[in-house]
Formats: sequence, structure tokens, C-alpha cells
Amino acid sequence: MAVIDLAFAIKHLPDVLKGVPATLAITIIAMICGLFSGLLISFIRIFKLPVLNQGAVLFISFIRGTPLIVQLYMFYYGLPVLFDYLNGRFGLQFNADNIHPLYIAFIAYTINTSAYQAEIMRGAIQSVDRGQMEAALSIGMTVPQALRRIIMPQAFRTALPDLGNTFIHLIKATSLAFAVKVMEILAISRTIANDGYRFLEMYLVAALLYWLLSWIFEIVFTKLEQKVSRYEKAQQSPVKRFYSVRQLKT
Amino acid sequence: MNKDLNYWLDLFIKVLDKLPLTLFMMIVSLFFALVIAVIVAVIRIKHVRILSGLAALYLSFTRSTPLLVQIFLIYFGLPQLLLVFHIDINHWNRLIFVIAAFSLHTGSYLAEIMRAAYQAVGKEQLEAALSVGMSYPQAIRRIILPQAFVIALPNIGNQAIELLKDTSLAFTIGIIDIMGQVRIILGNNHGIGIFEVYVVISIVYWIICIFIELIINVMEGSVRKRRALLK
Repeated sequence: MAVIDLAFAIKHLPDVLKGVPATLAITIIAMICGLFSGLLISFIRIFKLPVLNQGAVLFISFIRGTPLIVQLYMFYYGLPVLFDYLNGRFGLQFNADNIHPLYIAFIAYTINTSAYQAEIMRGAIQSVDRGQMEAALSIGMTVPQALRRIIMPQAFRTALPDLGNTFIHLIKATSLAFAVKVMEILAISRTIANDGYRFLEMYLVAALLYWLLSWIFEIVFTKLEQKVSRYEKAQQSPVKRFYSVRQLKT
Repeated sequence: MNKDLNYWLDLFIKVLDKLPLTLFMMIVSLFFALVIAVIVAVIRIKHVRILSGLAALYLSFTRSTPLLVQIFLIYFGLPQLLLVFHIDINHWNRLIFVIAAFSLHTGSYLAEIMRAAYQAVGKEQLEAALSVGMSYPQAIRRIILPQAFVIALPNIGNQAIELLKDTSLAFTIGIIDIMGQVRIILGNNHGIGIFEVYVVISIVYWIICIFIELIINVMEGSVRKRRALLK
């Protein structure tokens, strides 16, 4: 028996690839839902809504101060406790066992990432110059209009690199989804490795897959950044632009 | 959900019983991570040939793959790999494997923080130091490092908090730290109250995180005060 069995790894690669959809589904859904709830929390923080603001501060501190795996376990084992309470109180018939693990993962990861994205968005919105808001209001826009048309587009551009990092972070974080019984890349690799006593091969396959995924999305986000910062290039050299316009005229 | 105070107190004591191991893993890993980070940062700044490429590969790998995969690779994979060379490390203490994994993982993040801090100080500081007659090592020690340290401190603090949270994965290879204690508590409770145990664990982590944040804030404050006095 060879010590390192590459044939074993190649044979089981298709099985591990079956975990990629779960990994990507959790990442993408948590990213999108987390962005919306994160925005909501960041507005609560920026406009300093009473009570809600304190709640948001506590929530963000808790999520950022405790390990994700503890949060996942808490959510997984807390859900039946919550349902028991609700059922007893309102006479409902919820059963936590009927919920697909993937949906539990969606919610748990969304809650986790929303705290991080809230802080990113808060920083990005506050980094937009105050004068922008004042200018928008002075020409007769309402606050929601000014936010939507003037502030948010600029804030998103500032936030994009951090949002990209959060996305890559989420891809890696999905490796903990075994805590809520989701079979993703690592959980599948682990099962195969345990069955075949081929640890090195299977964990290398998993590592390379994560590496590849991170790499792909890094490129996607870099391209996205280049696209949204096109206007900067146009602004960069007014002299060049002046001459290019003149050339067109003559 | 109406458990009496004694029940919660008992849970806290049982969990806190394993806190020293968690802190031990964190502090030892942080030390080795700093050592690794300095070496890697120097290699990257000085553009040492071959080594620089290896360092880039190491940074990319550790930052693009989950920590859990790295722990498994080191704990399960490394002994298997070393057996090829007839080195048997299967009997080694599990703590050695997790501390190695944590150190390598955190080391890559710290290396980039240090490199960024070094570059943030600015070339003119080095040039000014050299122009007044300092030697290169003197300039680094007296001018660059003190400034780089101030810049890097908040980020190093964040990494220390990340590392603390990361130690919660050590239970996956059977280490009985705060997280590993869960099984033992549940064994005594016949599996009842698993949610409550995790609530207690999360509060313990939360408190330590806030504590680390406080330490970092105090350090930052004292460093800034000393610099303000110099002016």
C-alpha cells in the first residue's frame, strides 16, 4: 500500500465536488441577506435610533466577540428550545427537526455576517464627505433620495474591497457548517478520509478546492472593483482629457 | 428555561475549569506566530530570492483555506506524510499539532500586518536616520520599529482576538478545552441542556474578547501618551 495514494484522491474528487453547491449556496445567500440586514443595522447605528442603537451595539459586539462555531451550535440547539417555548405559549406546532440543515445554515451565517457587514457599511457611509449630503439636500432632494442617489453609490464603492474580503471569509467559514449538519466540502472529505484512512489525500483535495474558490472570487471582486472605479480613471488627468477632446474637434 | 442560579453557576465553573488550556493555546500560538511573522515579513520586505516565492505561497495558502482544513492537514496529514521518510510522530501530544496549526495560520496574517506597518512608516524616515550617521540596524531598531509597532498594534490586537476565537476549533481533534468540556458536561447531564452550555461558553469567550480589547486600548493609550510627551 502506497503511503500517499493519489488515485484514491482522484477517485473521490467527484464526491467532494458535490459539496461545492452547498458551500457556494451558504456563502452567496448569507452574503446577500447579510448585506441587507447589515445595511439596516448600519442605518440604526448612523441615525442613532434610541434603544435599537444600543441593541445593535450589543449584537455586533457579541457576534464579533464569540467564535462562529459557538454561534452555530447555539443556533442549532437553541432553535428547538425557542420552538418549544413558542409552541407552549401560542399553541403552535413548529418542529425544529423538520427544517432542512441548509436553511438553518443560511439563517445562522446570515446573522453572523450581518454584524460584520453592518460595521463595513457604517464605515463606508460615514467616509462619504458630509458636503455630498448637504449638496444633495440643497438642490431639493429628500433624505431618502439623497441616500439612494448620492451617498449609497459612493459608499458601496468604498466598501467593495472589504465586502470582497467578507465574501472570501464566508467561503472559508462554511467549513464549520458541519456543526449544523450540512454536508459541504470539508464534511464530505472528512467522511471519505475516515472511511478510507486516507487523511492527507482528502484534506489536500479539500484545501485545494477552497484555495481555487477563494482565488476565483478574488478575481471576480478585483474585476468588480475596477469596473466601479472607472470614473476615477476618467477624473485622473484633466489635461489628458482636455487634449483628447481637442483632438476630436480638429 | 427557568433554571435556578446554582445550575448556571455550576455550568460556569465547569467551563471556566478549562479556561487555562484555552488561554495557554492562545498565548503560546501567539508567541510562535509573532516569530513566524517577523521571519516572513523580513523575507518579503528584503525580497530574498526563492524564499520570497515560498513565503508568498505560504501566505496565499494559509489565507485562502479554512483553518479547520489546516488543522486536519497538520494533525492527520503530516504524520502520514512523515511516515514516508520513516519518521513516526503519531504519538506526539495533540497540543503540539494544534499549536503548530494556529501559529502558522495567525503567523501569515501577522506577517502581512507587519509588512504593511513597516511600509507605512515611510522611506524618508530611514533615509533621515541614515543621513544623521546611524547604521542600518540602528535605524531599524531606533526609528522604524517603534513607529511600525504603533501602527501595527491595533491590528495585532484584532489578530489576538481572532486567535482566541480560533482556539474554539481545537476540540475537533479531541482537545478538552472550553469547547471540549461540552461533551463531559453533557455526559453528566444525560444530554439535557446543551443550549445552556453553549450560552455559557459564548459568554466566557465574549468576556475574554472584551478583556483583550481593553488591554490593547490601554497599551495604545500609553504608547501614544509617551509619543505625545516626546513632542
